[in-house]
This record gives sequence, structure tokens and C-alpha cells, in this order.
Amino acid sequence: MELPENPNKDNNGYESAEKIILRWDSTASEEAREKMIFETDRHEADLYLHAVDEIQRSLSNASISNTTTAAAVAVDDQTKVNSTIQIAMARLEDEFRNILMTHSSALEADSLFDPSSSSFSASSHHELEDDDAVNNEDSSHGDLLQLQLQHCESSDSSTFRSTSSIRELDLMPGEAISDLQAIATRMISSGYLRECIQVYGSVRKSAIDSSFRKLGIEKLSIGDIQRLEWEALESKIRRWIRAAKVCIRILFSSEKKLCEQIFECVGTDIDDACFMETVKGPAIQLFNFAEAISISRRSPEKLFKILDLHDALMDLLPDIEAVFDSKSSESIRVQAAEILSRLAEAARGILSEFESAILREPSRVPVPGGTIHPLTRYVMNYISLISDYKQTLIELIMSKPSTGSRYSGDQSTPDMEFAELEGKTPLALHLIWIIVVLQFNLEGKSKHYRDASLAHLFIMNNVHYIVQKVKGSPELREMIGDDYLRKLTGKFRQAATSYQRATWVSVLYCLRDEGLHVSGSFSSGVSKSALRERFKTFNAMFEEVHRTQATWLIPDTQLREELRISISEKCIPAYRSFLGRFRSHIESGRHPENYIKYSVEDLETAMLDFFEGYPVSHQHLRRRSQ
Amino acid sequence: MPATDYHASFLGRLSIRRNQVIAMDGNHEQELEDLELFSKHVSECFTELLSPPDDVPFDTLLSIPWLRKLLDVFLCCEAEFKAIIMMGNDSFQISKPPLDRLIPDLLDRSVKALDICNAVTNGLDSVRHYQKLAEIAASALEQKPIGDGQARRAKKALNSLMLAMSIDDKDCSAVKTTERSWSFSRRGVNKDRSPGHFRQVAKSWSAAKQIQTMACNLVPPRGAEASGLASPVYIMSVIMVFVMWALVAAIPCQDRNGLLATHFPVPKQLNWDQSIIGLHEKIGEEWKKKEKKGAAGLLAEMQKMEKLGHNLMEFTESFQFHGETDEKAAAHAAELAETCRRMEEGLLPLQVKIREVFHRIVRTRTEFLHALDQGGKSSAPLV
Repeated sequence: MELPENPNKDNNGYESAEKIILRWDSTASEEAREKMIFETDRHEADLYLHAVDEIQRSLSNASISNTTTAAAVAVDDQTKVNSTIQIAMARLEDEFRNILMTHSSALEADSLFDPSSSSFSASSHHELEDDDAVNNEDSSHGDLLQLQLQHCESSDSSTFRSTSSIRELDLMPGEAISDLQAIATRMISSGYLRECIQVYGSVRKSAIDSSFRKLGIEKLSIGDIQRLEWEALESKIRRWIRAAKVCIRILFSSEKKLCEQIFECVGTDIDDACFMETVKGPAIQLFNFAEAISISRRSPEKLFKILDLHDALMDLLPDIEAVFDSKSSESIRVQAAEILSRLAEAARGILSEFESAILREPSRVPVPGGTIHPLTRYVMNYISLISDYKQTLIELIMSKPSTGSRYSGDQSTPDMEFAELEGKTPLALHLIWIIVVLQFNLEGKSKHYRDASLAHLFIMNNVHYIVQKVKGSPELREMIGDDYLRKLTGKFRQAATSYQRATWVSVLYCLRDEGLHVSGSFSSGVSKSALRERFKTFNAMFEEVHRTQATWLIPDTQLREELRISISEKCIPAYRSFLGRFRSHIESGRHPENYIKYSVEDLETAMLDFFEGYPVSHQHLRRRSQ
Repeated sequence: MPATDYHASFLGRLSIRRNQVIAMDGNHEQELEDLELFSKHVSECFTELLSPPDDVPFDTLLSIPWLRKLLDVFLCCEAEFKAIIMMGNDSFQISKPPLDRLIPDLLDRSVKALDICNAVTNGLDSVRHYQKLAEIAASALEQKPIGDGQARRAKKALNSLMLAMSIDDKDCSAVKTTERSWSFSRRGVNKDRSPGHFRQVAKSWSAAKQIQTMACNLVPPRGAEASGLASPVYIMSVIMVFVMWALVAAIPCQDRNGLLATHFPVPKQLNWDQSIIGLHEKIGEEWKKKEKKGAAGLLAEMQKMEKLGHNLMEFTESFQFHGETDEKAAAHAAELAETCRRMEEGLLPLQVKIREVFHRIVRTRTEFLHALDQGGKSSAPLV
């Protein structure tokens, strides 16, 4: 075979190319070290690239030619050409790195942050009640109650730019990209792919690291996260959710686009490899936080932030799959899915723990005045909040509450009739179960009151509160259902009746007719001593009841009124009639004022003191002056 | 007998016993027997680990295949351990002394172990980075004969490799990178970092300290406690600390200063731990040897890579083209390529296995936490 045609021409072309390459050999000359080709001017850059092309051409020509005589020469040539190529590639690697570094800073602030945002987004979740009345209540109740439920905001996207969908930014100007492309193509066709990927990855990883810092993504270990107070974690979670959206939808997707642009001409495997080289570490670091949260110890106050995290990740999942769609990024997709499923498990676990905790809540100190127990408030507020998260939880909660005995203790546990609850979602069943368990616990607590009347009042107050809360939330009401609501209403009415019986039967017993008449006739057969006894007893009892029950409390105004009216309706007419029939007998004797201490009006006024929660003085009742 | 077979039969017997346990009262003897079986099995598994796997040409212990075996042993022992603790007991046993104190300690160690798993996985990314650099050198030097170009290319790659390995070995935060992977020096450029390594933990996190803390209150149960469930808890704790220790010794992760000083307070009269102690000593010796030379991690493949790298670096530095093949260098290059191939095959499965260990630890921890909560004791807040 002959040597290639026009050897002189080729040689000239080769020689001048070689000269250019050698001129820019940074290991050889000071000048070469001081300037960067691609920063100098376009002409130089083009010349260099052409030179590289020329050398590459020679290499392939040299490898084709295999004349026997020229064999040794060919080998020599090849070696020489290879040497020149290596010099060129080393130089191109540096140029590549330089161009990348010039254009690799953290994402600009205004790509990330929306300068015109207002402080908080308008739609926030149902705010927790902040009943002041409860703050001076007995704070010695168990662990469960010392946990304050936080105000739950919806995920606040206003400070970051809208990140509801993938948005690829141009991370570098077009000229830089075409330069990088030109270099990359040549490096790869010379077999220097590995070097190219290494350089690319290391520079872009730094850029991402800076962006991460700007986004406030922290490097916390799992141990750190387990040790932090939940309140501190809540704000970190909020920040993470916002940052994750930016990372997946803007940062990573833009990096992907950059890889595609630079490595456009050389096939998808390569731009995939570069992309993964760049983002795999950061992506794992990002997800590690969410993973740490998903495995943290379960307790009730964590539910809502965990649901927020779950929802955010769920929302991001399609974008995660879109951005990390190659085989090599499978582990990232898998990790995201695992975290999602752990968060769901955590939510279920927390709900279940919550139910147990209510059952076990051990405080025995009775709430003074029989008013609403902090446990009741906590639980009802909690499940109102749950009903706000109905959409997510309905998907997550898939099994009915376990109503069997959970431990080998002897206490009987409440049970729930599932028959009448056909057609309810598992979530609704859980909510009803929670109310059942709460009542069961409250029944137990009511037994610590020495006064049975107070126990009934306590139940009445608390069940009434439950009813009010259910009625106050349309979602909750819809899930609990009107049937069960009716049951609850009946329950507190029943308690009211029981209270009345417990207190007033014996008081009104004093005003009965029997036993006052000594003979069969009406006119003069009234036993004055018995009558005096009756008045005295009635007075004493009423005073006692008044004194005691003025300090009892029915927080709900309407309920308070209703009960007072109900009592009055029994009490006042009976007293009026008693007075009417028998006062003359007393007034005809000595010291009537010792027996008829109170007028009907006095009693009516006294009624207004009941259940106000304030102590009253004994004098208060007396209106009749001596 | 392969570990998995033994595992299956052991658990099989365990579940049969479970039925008997529920039927009988006074099952203490059964329990004792099970505990003995457990410690015997542990001893056997670790004895097997004393010798390297068959197809491994390294004389150091900590190779990728060996680590995978180690993790398999961990998973196997962990499964048995959990079965013993949870066997027919619901949550009752766990919330009674001594477990009510010992299990929370174990859970604390578990959290640290999880962090170490993450750190090691991250460290394996560094190892992959070395592999990529080594591959450049190996493929450049595969050519026969080698030209100037290839030698320079290999030298450049080997430089980066040695630099990367030495940076990763030292405490990352303490090293100021003055050498760069540029082929020449540049004014005014200061954005260079340890190439290829994305730090995932805070600067203050230290693998060695985590392990030391894990080991610090490992106290063998004494007296009456030793015949009860406290024993398997202790055994499992020792296993967990040892496995994590071995991983950190092998694979570069942040701050391993003082790792060797980790004290394993394992008294010699117990016989199940002889093999673990043996392994600990063996690895400790290798560590001492390495510390003198200063290298990143004991992983056999990495050590090989480093040794070959040094040799080839010398070769490339004194290289002059003469058209003939240097057989020794060619052999080294081939060995380097082979080592890279082993890494290529082994690193991903190892990462997968570590992830499996991670998941298992999480699962067990969740179950134990649940059981402790059910026991109803309001003890000090657990992590």
C-alpha cells in the first residue's frame, strides 16, 4: 500500500497543527501557562480546535497505513501523534475546567427567590384553638398534655419562586456551551471520556454545593435530627420542603439540561453519566434529611408536619422520576419511594400511638369545678386538625382501628359497634374510635370526684364540648356522622339529668307535702315543728348547694343557661308553692326570720351564681334585713 | 454450612418452640437453650470470617467480598436476635428490667450505626472516584509499547489518584489544598476543592467518635442477668459495634483519627466472642501497619490500588520512550486493571448491601420503639 496522497501537504498540515499544540503545552512554556486559549480570543480557540482535529485525523490515517516497510515508522509516528494528542488533551482538559469554573457559581438569587413575595401565603390550615380558659387549669396532667400543638401553616411557597413544576434554567451562556461542546467532543473522540467526566463532575458539584448552602440545606446527621426538639425540626422541615422543590424542579433539572446541551453530539449515555456524577451525591444528601425525619420516634405532635412532608414528596415524585429517569439513577428513585412509604407508615403509627395514649392518659387529679378537661381540648383540637388533612389521611389510613385489649392489664377497654358504622372510611372509624376512647378515659376520670353531682357535670361539660367541636367543623361532622352525633348529644343530656337528680332530689324533698300534716284535715293540722325543720333543712341544703356549685363551672354559656333554667323550673315553683301554703304557720310563730330566710326572688337571684366558677359569700344570699 | 441455611433451621426450631412456650409455663430452660444456640451460632459465623473468601487474592482481610460476607453475618445474627427478644412476648419483656434500660442503649447505638452506614456509603463514592482515576492510568498503560503520551496521561491520572487518596485520609477540614489537579499553576483561582468528593456531613461529625461512643458503655451482663435476655442484647451490641468499626476501618469516611483506640471491653472468658476479638486484633494490626505509610482506608482493593499506583507512578516519572515494553510495568498495569474490575463489580453490590443493613436496623428500631411505648412506661425521652 502506498503512503497517503500528497504527503507533503498532509505533513504540512500536520506539522503546523503540531506546532500549535506544542506552543500551548503548559508543561513546556511559561507563556502557555499564563493565558487560557478560550479566554484569549475566538480566533486562537478556533485555530487550536482545528489543530486538534488535524492531529486526530493523522492518528486515524497512521493507524490505517500498514506497509511493511513503514511499519516501524508507522509505530513511531503513531507514538509521536499519540504524544501530541495527549498534550492537546491535557490542555483541553484545563480549558474545559476553566470555562466550567468561570460559569459555575451558585444559582443566582433571583432564580431562586421571588423578590416580590409577600410574607405568608393566604391559605393556611385550620388554626388550633387557643382557649385562654385552659391556661390556668391544672397543669399537672400527664405527658401527653404538656405537648403544645403548633400552629400549622400550609407549605409556604411565597419566598421562593413558584416551583410547582419543572423549570429548566440556562446555567451558562450559549457561547460557553458551544465551546464546552467543542472540547468535549474532541476529548471523547480521542478516548479521553473519563477525564472529561471527572472534570465536569468535580466543578459542577461545587456549584451545586454552593446552591445548597444558599437554599439552607443543612448537613445534619440522623443522630443530630433525633436529638433536636420537634419545634426546631418543624421549621427545618418547612425549609426543606421549599428547598427540595427548588432542587428537583429547578436545580437538578437545569443541570440535566446542561449535560444534554454539552454532550449533545455524543450520545445519551455520556450525558447521563455526567449528570449522575454531578447530582448523585447532592441528591442523596437532600433525601437523607427526609429519611431521618421518617424514622424519628413517633409522637402525636409530629403527625401534621410528617403529613406535610409526605404530601410534598408525593407531589414531587413525578418530577423526581422525570429528572432521574436513567438506569443509573434508579437508587435515587428507589430511595424517594422508600421515604414516602416510611412517612406513610409513620403517620399511621402516630395515629395509632395517639389512640393508645388517650386510653392510657393517666392523670387522676380531677379538674376543679368539673369543667372541660385539657385532654378533651387537646384531643378535639387534634382531630379537627386531622379532618383538615382529610384528603391525605383518607389515602393513608387503610385499616380499622384495633379495638381489642392492647395489653394484659385487667381494665376493660371500650368497644365500638361496627355494625352501625357501615360504609364509613377507615379514617372516619378512627376518628369515632378516638372519641369513644376519650369518653372512656373521661368516665374513669369522673370517678375521682367525691361528689357524684360533680362527676355528672364533668361528663356533661366534656361531652358537650365534643359535640360542639364536631358541629363546628364540617369535615369532621361529615366523617363522624349525624347518627353518632345524636348519640353524643343524648349522652350529655343524660348527664345533665343525672346531675339534677343527684343534687336536687334531696333538696326538693324538703318541700314535699307528706309528713307535715298531723291529722287528716288541712286547716290546723300542720306540725309546726316539722315545718320549721323542713325550712331549716331546705335553707341549709340550698345554701350548701349554692355555695358549692357556684364554684363549679359550665364554660358554655348556653348550656349553663339551659341547666340553670331547668333547675329553676323545678325549684322555684316548688318553693313558691311551699311558701304560699305554709308561711302563715311560720309567721304566726316566734322568729319566723330564722326559718323563712329567703324570698322567691332571692332564690332566683341565687340561681344566677350557679356554675359561674366563682366562690360566693354566704351573706350574698341574704337579702332580708333583720 | 452456609450461613443462610443455618439461619433457616435455627429459626425453624425457634418457631416450633414458640408454640410450646405459649403452652407451657416455666420455659426458662428453653430460653437458656436458645440463648446458647444463638451465641454458638454467632461464634461460628465469625470464625468463618477469620479467613478470607475463596476467590480473593489479597492477604489483607478487609476486601469487598469479605465486607459483604461480614454484612451478611450481621443480618443473619440480627434476625435471630430479634426473634429471641420478640419471641412470644409481645411488648412485655421489653419494658421490664433489665431490657427497659438495655434496649434504649441499643437503640442509641442503632442511630449511630445508621449514620455510619450513610457515611460509609458516601465513602464508597470516593472509592469509586479512585477507581475511575485508576482506570484512566491502567488503560493508558495497557498499550504496548507505551508512548510518551500514554505515560504522561497515566502520570496525570495517578497524581490525581494519590492526591485524592491522601486528602480523603486526613481530616477533611484540616487540609488546605495547595496542590491542584491543574497541569500548571494559575493565578487567582481559588475555587478548587478536594476533587470528586461531595461532603455530606457537617465538619464536626467524626466516624471515630461515633464508634467510640457506641463502644463506651458496652458492659457484659453479670450474675443473674447473664442468663437472661440481657446476654443476647449484649452480644448483638458487640456485633453491631464491631461491624461498624470494621466498615470505618476499611472505607474512607470523615475523621477516623483514634479509631484504633476504640476499646472493645470484651472479657475473654466468654467464648462466643473469641473470633470477634481475633478479627479485631487482626484488623488492628493491619491498621497499625498502614498508619505508618499513611493511606486512605484498609480496603484491600484500595491498598492494592495504592501500591500499584505508586509503582506505576515511579515508572511514569522515569519513563522514556524506547519502543520496547517494560514487562514489569505492563504486569502492574494489568493488575491495576484487574483491581479496577473487582471494584467495578463489587462496589455497587456492597452499597446495596449496606443499604439493606440500614433498612434492617431501621425496621428493628421501629419495632422496639413501638414495643417500648406499648409497655407504657414514661421513661426518659428516647432518641
